[in-house]
Amino acid sequence: MMEKLYLVARIADTRVALRSRAINSVVTVGTPVEVPGAPPHVAGLFALRSRVFTLIDPHVVVGLPPVLVAQGQRVIVVDVAEHGYALLADEIEDVCFIDAPETRVTGQLMPGWARVAEAMIEHQGASLLVVDPAHFVTLPMLKVA
Amino acid sequence: MVKPQFLGRTDGAMDDLLNDFLAETAEILAEAGGALVAWEADPADRERLDAIFRLVHTIKGSSGFLALPRVTALAHAAEEALDQVRRGNRPANAALVTAVLGIIDRLSEICAALGSNGAEPVGDDSAVIGAFAIGDAAPAPEPEPAAEVAGIPMRREDDLAADIQNWRSIRVPLPLLDSVMTGVTDIVLARNEFARMLRESGADPSVIASFDRLSDSIAGMRQSVSQMRMQRIDKLFAPLPRIVRDLAQELGKKIRFTTSGGEVELDREMMENIRDPLIHIVRNAIDHGIEALDDRVAAGKDITATIAVSARQSGNQIEIEIRDDGRGLAPDALAAKAIAARILTATEARALAPRDKLELIFRPGFSTASKVTSVSGRGVGMDIVKSNVEKIGGVVELRNDEGRGLAILLRVPMTLTIISGLMVRAAGQYFAIPRGAVREILLESSDSVRIEKLGGGEIVTVRGEQHPLLRLEQVLGRARDHRDDADDRALVLIRPGQGQSYALSVAAIHDHEELVIKPAAPMIMATGLYAGTTLPDNGRPVLLLDVQGILAAANIDASEAGRGVDQAAEAEAEATAARNAAQLLLFRDICGRTRGVRLSVIERVEEVPALALFESAGTVQAQIGDHIFPVHAARVPEGHGAIKLLRLYDGQSILCYPIAEVIDIVRLPDLVQPAAAPGLIAGVLLVGGEPVELIDPYWLMEQYAAGAPAPTPRQPLCRLADDRDGWGDNFLAPILRGAGYRVASEKTDETPDVLLCLTDENGACAHESGDVPMIRLRASVAAAGPEDETVYRYDRGALLDALRRQVGGGRP
Repeated sequence: MMEKLYLVARIADTRVALRSRAINSVVTVGTPVEVPGAPPHVAGLFALRSRVFTLIDPHVVVGLPPVLVAQGQRVIVVDVAEHGYALLADEIEDVCFIDAPETRVTGQLMPGWARVAEAMIEHQGASLLVVDPAHFVTLPMLKVA
Repeated sequence: MVKPQFLGRTDGAMDDLLNDFLAETAEILAEAGGALVAWEADPADRERLDAIFRLVHTIKGSSGFLALPRVTALAHAAEEALDQVRRGNRPANAALVTAVLGIIDRLSEICAALGSNGAEPVGDDSAVIGAFAIGDAAPAPEPEPAAEVAGIPMRREDDLAADIQNWRSIRVPLPLLDSVMTGVTDIVLARNEFARMLRESGADPSVIASFDRLSDSIAGMRQSVSQMRMQRIDKLFAPLPRIVRDLAQELGKKIRFTTSGGEVELDREMMENIRDPLIHIVRNAIDHGIEALDDRVAAGKDITATIAVSARQSGNQIEIEIRDDGRGLAPDALAAKAIAARILTATEARALAPRDKLELIFRPGFSTASKVTSVSGRGVGMDIVKSNVEKIGGVVELRNDEGRGLAILLRVPMTLTIISGLMVRAAGQYFAIPRGAVREILLESSDSVRIEKLGGGEIVTVRGEQHPLLRLEQVLGRARDHRDDADDRALVLIRPGQGQSYALSVAAIHDHEELVIKPAAPMIMATGLYAGTTLPDNGRPVLLLDVQGILAAANIDASEAGRGVDQAAEAEAEATAARNAAQLLLFRDICGRTRGVRLSVIERVEEVPALALFESAGTVQAQIGDHIFPVHAARVPEGHGAIKLLRLYDGQSILCYPIAEVIDIVRLPDLVQPAAAPGLIAGVLLVGGEPVELIDPYWLMEQYAAGAPAPTPRQPLCRLADDRDGWGDNFLAPILRGAGYRVASEKTDETPDVLLCLTDENGACAHESGDVPMIRLRASVAAAGPEDETVYRYDRGALLDALRRQVGGGRP
């Protein structure tokens, strides 16, 4: 059943579906601590229940200019290779079962999105990109915008 | 969907048993190898023989239970041969030891195969077992062939007692231990967060009091868990005797190998990281350091070379020294080799100071062997050693005495996870700097600081010493925070490694904190600027700066050599002076007074439960491990929790001095106001404007070395000869100076007025010196006979009397 459970959210100005098993939790953050010298998609560090998480700005990953982290902004917490990360989300919509099958991505995507999108899925009459949060974190080579 | 649970469990139990066996056997084999070599050196040591016998017997017992016929047969053969020796039916000789070592090697191979396949591999051990028959003149019974496993008696009646002792400790899988450690670390962090929230909410004092109680017990628990991860460094030393023996035999060298400080404890993970470097350094010492027998004779050295490995704890760090009395390193030969290996050009080589030439051995691709031997030349070089040690926050230092030996010092932090950090502010946020790398903290506005701009860069001169200056904001590519005071910035002098230093300018210094360090995300670590993250009490993550990485990022040469004016030699001399400068350990004693003692006389700082102290025959004693040491205290301190003890060591005996806490380690000021009469306090000195009482280790040791105190005696020069262990310099010299003598150690141009020979041997002093009068000191209280003219070294009165008789002078 879990396979059909998705988190629908708007990240980097785009509505996407994230497979729920890839997600740890959704929380709100205060002002993060900056990491000077880090790659541009690292928006900072924040602490949650005595763990330190690295905040990722998906805007930068898909090639958009970075956004400022607002107080109380919601983030999607994920674990990748035993490190904790959080993706900045513009908006968290819903957690829901989507019965439709995942289909191959058709149509041309921006290069940034093409890297993170794995499939498409139909939900309430709209097509959503299915993305793997790990792809936002582990970018092999990120060109400085 | 129902799984056959019981089946799974049976398998698991079997695996557990096998894993336990393998872990235990690996340990036993390492221990047995070392013990065998030690026993070979002294075959009369019955106790050691029994110990080896028990080890082999344990393997036999457990393997029989697990039905591992090859292991059982091998262990039995070794046990049988050792038993014959025990009963006097067989001589202990090199052939026997080699045969037993052969068995141990074979057992290791089989265990390795067991570990990977889970089953005993098929093979023939008759050659290994047969080795017992060779070179054995005494009529030993033929060991049973491997096939007759069933006929081997599994238990000897005389070893039941030995088995019981194994039950005092338990084996815990490492991942479990690690997860406990992680859990406790999280609890500590959660506590910090909670503490902050309590403070902010202005909670009821009773709530805070009970939280403090919880907090204390968490601190205690963290301590215990850290200790669980600690292992005695003995374990690291265990395989070394065997390596030395085999290699020495192979190369036809004679080597005496000693280890000391085996009771020092180190985090298991750190231990793993220094195992290979240590073995490599020891192998290098045997292969390259120790000369061939003929060369040693030609050099006038003892044919038997000495390699000594010692460990000691100093503060939060563990120092491991590997010292040999071989040929040492020849800086020019190293430079020539490096040129030949195309590591540097001849011009570059000429510009190097002698100390930099030594550092060449850490360059990748460098090998000091003139030819590739079977021992070295395996592609592992000192560069790997250095990078492995630095990876865990340690440093490698060389102490070279050309022609007379080399000592390599590995200095590593005791644990990886908790370090003492200095919090600094820059660009409006906080960063942590490992306290161990910080040499000094200054204000930019201070009189002793001069900052100059040079060709776009900046240098700072502190008391005549120049350092490159880096501004943290610039290194991090950030603008200065407008709220920071531009005139009141602080300078942190950082020593990232031996022979390197730079000054880091920061907006402000915050404070010191004990920090739990966790690795940061890979992309943050990849910047090379940070060594990890930590979460202080305020709940805002802080990045730990990588002091070495910052250097690399700024791309400057922070090497201290050749700095200053135009003389590299002066830099060298200064560095030597800094090394030789005495350091002072500041501490608070149990009555709350601030006192200091020369660091070099402290062997380590020990924390023992209050229960370990007891009173006996009017003196207080402490039980530490299997030893009992005298404690300098009038009565047993009120029992609560743990007590910190300074362990003073004069090369022969140990005295414990109870303290409340260690405050700091500082350079010993030159100016000491001496005390009126000899006593516990040698004098008073000023540290940072505060008076500090200086403990007199000579007097202290005298009290507990059963000597007699006596009164004291212009400026004649005493020369200390044969001061091998530094006792003269550390214990005796301050007393002599206090009594109005000048003291010189080994090398001096001035002819001394009197020679103090510290050797204990009855033979002639190595520094026989014509017409200079000589006083010989002995370590034992009792004189050897009526003709014995030596002076007991803690007999202050007799010593000073003898000095007065020989040269006169001194204060009456």
